[in-house]
Amino acid sequence: MDPLLLARLQFATTTSIHFLFVLVTLGLITLLVYLQTAWVVTKKPVYERLTRFWGTLYVINYVLGIAAGVVMEFQFGLNWSGLSKYVGNVFGAPLAIETLTAFFLESTFLGMWIFGWHRLRRGVHLALLWGVALTAYISAFWIMAGNAWMQNPVGYEMRDGIAHLTEFSALVTNPAFRMAFVHTMLAALVTGGILMASISSWHLIRRTADFELFRKSLRIGLVTAALTVGPLLHFGFIQLADMAPLQPTKYGTPEEKEAKIAELTTAFGPGDYEPPTIFLSSLSFMFIIGFLLVLICLQFVLLPKDLLIRLRFPLWILLFALPLPFVAAILGWITREVGRQPWAVYGLLRVEDAVSPVSGGVMFTSFLGFTLLLGTLAITNWVLIAKHAARGAHDDLALGRPPEQEPADDRPDPAFV
Amino acid sequence: MELAWYALLGVFFAAYLVLGGYDYGTGLMLARSGDPAARRGLLNAVGPFFLGNEVWLIAAVGILFGAFPILEGELLAGLYPAFAGAVTGVILVTAAVQLRSRPASRWARTAWDRVIVVGSALAALGWGAVLAGMLQGVPLNEEGRVEGIGHLFTPFALAAAVTMVALVAVHGAAFLALRLPVDEAGPVAALGRRLVPVALAAGVVTTVVALLSDRVRDAAQQPLAAIAMPVLLVVALLVAWVGFGRRSPGLAFTATSVTLALPVLLVGATLWPNALYSTIDPAASLTVADAAASGPTLRLLTWLTVPLLPALLGFQVMLWWVFRGRTGGRAPVYW
Repeated sequence: MDPLLLARLQFATTTSIHFLFVLVTLGLITLLVYLQTAWVVTKKPVYERLTRFWGTLYVINYVLGIAAGVVMEFQFGLNWSGLSKYVGNVFGAPLAIETLTAFFLESTFLGMWIFGWHRLRRGVHLALLWGVALTAYISAFWIMAGNAWMQNPVGYEMRDGIAHLTEFSALVTNPAFRMAFVHTMLAALVTGGILMASISSWHLIRRTADFELFRKSLRIGLVTAALTVGPLLHFGFIQLADMAPLQPTKYGTPEEKEAKIAELTTAFGPGDYEPPTIFLSSLSFMFIIGFLLVLICLQFVLLPKDLLIRLRFPLWILLFALPLPFVAAILGWITREVGRQPWAVYGLLRVEDAVSPVSGGVMFTSFLGFTLLLGTLAITNWVLIAKHAARGAHDDLALGRPPEQEPADDRPDPAFV
Repeated sequence: MELAWYALLGVFFAAYLVLGGYDYGTGLMLARSGDPAARRGLLNAVGPFFLGNEVWLIAAVGILFGAFPILEGELLAGLYPAFAGAVTGVILVTAAVQLRSRPASRWARTAWDRVIVVGSALAALGWGAVLAGMLQGVPLNEEGRVEGIGHLFTPFALAAAVTMVALVAVHGAAFLALRLPVDEAGPVAALGRRLVPVALAAGVVTTVVALLSDRVRDAAQQPLAAIAMPVLLVVALLVAWVGFGRRSPGLAFTATSVTLALPVLLVGATLWPNALYSTIDPAASLTVADAAASGPTLRLLTWLTVPLLPALLGFQVMLWWVFRGRTGGRAPVYW
């Protein structure tokens, strides 16, 4: 068993699973903020039910985001100890900042939000959701900054074979970061929008009793996706233009490619410095899906007079569009990450130098164990999401259910005495 | 600067064991209850705090990666099985607690509850083994890499792992005695009182095994801290025992919190100035100063994160304050 291959496979599976759930987290939280704010402002009950229904799906989805995220965080040390040893001074910083300034608060806020219904004042409860959304975006910001540094290391100098941070601002102005971050955030919004429109379509196709509610979320979802899909493609292309000069072995002309490979061979010795060509097919398929999504989102012109719902077939199109953003996201991930091979940090640290000195047996056990664990949890999670989505916004939604009993005294019993 | 960050790392990990510890302790208590409604009651006692507790671990590992990158790689890869076990436990608990109430069937909920019990035990075993692994040192070679994993499997690591399960169980009982409605808290306190001697016995066995282990004796650079650990642990457990007996769950919970924070802080103090002791070549041991990130990185982290620490703590305190008191009919139920 080749520990390197296993470590890479494990990273690929963990990250893919994490990414699929995180996209929904980021997309849905934005829509939830809109729904709950609308509820607090307009006081219309439909917005309360919308918040509780979509909130339930958001919270179920969140579980796997954390679970896979925990595995990823530990995996850096378990399987890639060379990464922290050689470049931890620089690469560790954005990750540490992410956990302390963003994720820590995100989870604290979310716990209070889930259990805070009917207990906190409406304004505070809404502020918590805004807090969850804001910290989620800050989280994504630092993670993408870390990822961009692996694509294009900047702001460091090498001393004794170890990277030292020289200029932190370079990490956030990294050309491999800015547009990629915007592109990913837009991808999350499109995913959230399509998910909302798609689930709503299913209920409208089945003529669920909740027509008004799902009509509303269909509109919100589709309009969100329609507004963001254009910029998504736009920033995708800009990003490609940004990346091309940074990674000549991937996007360069044959001459640039050869020059870079010669340079790398002098620095690191002979080796295979050409990325696997699979990234090219991923890129092409992502383009196709992107344009398909534009066409699907164009159906928003049918929204007036509910043509979209009365014609029926657009609802079916939206329903079947559900997997598209997810497939595109994985393809985009493959394009960016596999296209970087054989580098853990482009032009600086090869994956074979970054992998931990762990035996093949240990790595295989770890790969198999965590993949089965996360895979099973992911499938269970999707089944649960699908079941809750299909049940609709029934009266017995667990999230935000009013407490059955009305106590005489609001104050809790003192416990810490 | 390195010392301050090392202390912060210790505080975050200790806080995680105290807060996450009662999540897992409550998880272990599920094994004793056949009644689905009672199990749900236990989980909802933890309810609002759960996500806020687990996140201390993520933050601790974030600090480890950002401020002590060299330690991070060697520690995790060097104690691979212990960390992998703990992480598996953490994930099982995290997923199962949040998902157990989503299916309506009684069968599915019981199955998820079993996952919580197994996950809680695994997490406690794993963290016990991690602390033991640090205390007995790792075969760190001159190049600063740890080879192999066989070094972890010692009687001491096993004893420490089991002790951690016992400590976590007592801690969970103390938390539930504090948080459940008064009529349900009594039996839990009685159970906690019965578990204290078990934890004491496990602690004594671990201490004896540690004293017999050459590796632990060599790795302990600060004998005073090493001796303080079992002594203070016993004192804290006795205080917890008194607290359970006198129906003073606040006292018991404070004492059991100390039993979980102490091992982390004293393992750090015992090894000082080392962070990772090398059993094959003491000179190759990794000191805290060597393990730390270089100056600019630490300064950056200090400027960007330390001003935010009061806010982090403030929102955690808000969480504890909002959901203070015993659970009852009015408590929102979600897990």
